[in-house]
Amino acid sequence: MDSTQILEEVDEIFKDELDNDDIVIQRDTTAGDIAEWDSLTHITLVVAIEKHFKVKFTAAEIQGFKNVGEMCDAIHAKVS
Amino acid sequence: MFTVGDTYQETFITDALTYEGFIDLFKDKNPLHTDAQFARSKSFKDRVMHGNILNGYISYFIGECLPSKDVVIHSQEIKYHAPVYLNDELSLHATVSEIYDSVNAVVFKYRFLDVEKKVIAKGTFQIGLI
Repeated sequence: MDSTQILEEVDEIFKDELDNDDIVIQRDTTAGDIAEWDSLTHITLVVAIEKHFKVKFTAAEIQGFKNVGEMCDAIHAKVS
Repeated sequence: MFTVGDTYQETFITDALTYEGFIDLFKDKNPLHTDAQFARSKSFKDRVMHGNILNGYISYFIGECLPSKDVVIHSQEIKYHAPVYLNDELSLHATVSEIYDSVNAVVFKYRFLDVEKKVIAKGTFQIGLI
């Protein structure tokens, strides 16, 4: 699974969890870009992503991601 | 604090105070809940207690019965398998099924059992440790 495929699947998770098919997730997307991405949906998204990719993040990893792309890179590293 | 497999339980009785209080608060006076004759005509043995009383028990359980008070409910899901009647005794058994350390979230699977160990309702809830 390459980073592009991971990003596409993350995009689908965001659409599903945030119940908004108009969302388009890109590597440089941050919480500030998406109105629905608040503190509680952040938890929902992380849980859904961990479940989907069968990976576990630490709190430090989650807090360290500057954007979706960095999270996708971390997923790629864990599943490779 | 939590480990996958940890199980907690609590017993509840759907007494008149709970039943009447629920009606007073939420105004659901559907005859299935308030008219024994109507309920029997629908093949129930008596008035059926409101299913969402069980969600109230879950709220109490999360807020008061777990090892930490530093909790918040993220989500609850429930499936009803059998009716509950006035003064039924139910035991809630909740087991830690998933832990997400990254966001301090814990998922439980739970079951409500009657005194004969029959499943009355089951589902999941997710809490956050705050």
